Amino acid sequence: MKKKIILSGLLVAGIAGIGIWYFIFYKPTHFKRDVADEQAITITAKQIVKNFQSNEDSANKIYLNKAIAITGEVLEAKKNQDGKPTVTLKSDDSFSNIYCTLKDDAGQIQGGSTITVKGICTGFLSDVVIIDAIIIKK
Amino acid sequence: MKQLFLVLLAACSLTAISAQKTYVTKSAQVKFFSHTPAEDIEATNNQAESKLVDKTGQVMFSLLIKGFRFENELMQEHFNGADYMNSTKFPKGEFKGKITNIAAVNFAKDGTYNVTTTGDLTIKGITKKVTAKGTITVTKSKISTKSIFKINVKDYGVDGSEVTKDLEITVTAKYE
Repeated sequence: MKKKIILSGLLVAGIAGIGIWYFIFYKPTHFKRDVADEQAITITAKQIVKNFQSNEDSANKIYLNKAIAITGEVLEAKKNQDGKPTVTLKSDDSFSNIYCTLKDDAGQIQGGSTITVKGICTGFLSDVVIIDAIIIKK
Repeated sequence: MKQLFLVLLAACSLTAISAQKTYVTKSAQVKFFSHTPAEDIEATNNQAESKLVDKTGQVMFSLLIKGFRFENELMQEHFNGADYMNSTKFPKGEFKGKITNIAAVNFAKDGTYNVTTTGDLTIKGITKKVTAKGTITVTKSKISTKSIFKINVKDYGVDGSEVTKDLEITVTAKYE
């Protein structure tokens, strides 16, 4: 009987130990934000550029670091220096577009086609910049 | 008639000589690295914009602080946080300057040229003069640049005492 209590006590302590290690040490350093799991703000490519152009500060408050699903026409698809695919979506102003960097290869993306990209908005340079993105509609 | 032709020809060649070209990219890469006793701190941003004018040597880079990606997302959160980079209040970093020896670069001839750039670096709303050495590589009329330089984060009001003072920054841009 005594043996049983000690054994189950050890078992509980062991599980607690693993739990503490997992939540305190492992999870925080290995956690990866995945945009696929997040509720996104839905908007068109034309509208989000307009919002940033008319008031960048207030647009930053709405969109910075948020998951955004943007629908627009593909201007071009390329690869960046790290070999990650990038897609530029058109707006009404040829000087300002949406520059999206995709997480993984999404296969052939046709120029001129309309797609929806979901990613995290990091802000506005001459383009609205979206990173860690996935294509949710092609 | 022949004279007129010569004048026209001269005018054409003059404009060809004085025409300057602006090289741009939206996918310049900016990395920073710091070695500390506890761990190496490293992050990459692949969405920096850059412009370079061949005749004048004017060069600029701008990037979004929230675009830096760390292997460790907890570190990334801390980096963006209010008591470190405060990237919600200061979303951008920017460099505007000049390549002081741009005449040494022959944009028409393939090769790697050593250059020195001086200008204003703005981080967290604070602007400081920096000078960095780098290279411009010309390959079949495609231009790329690379520069490695160090900054002291304390100069920009970033309290790096717990992590590091010196940050090594590597910038590579492939222009279109």
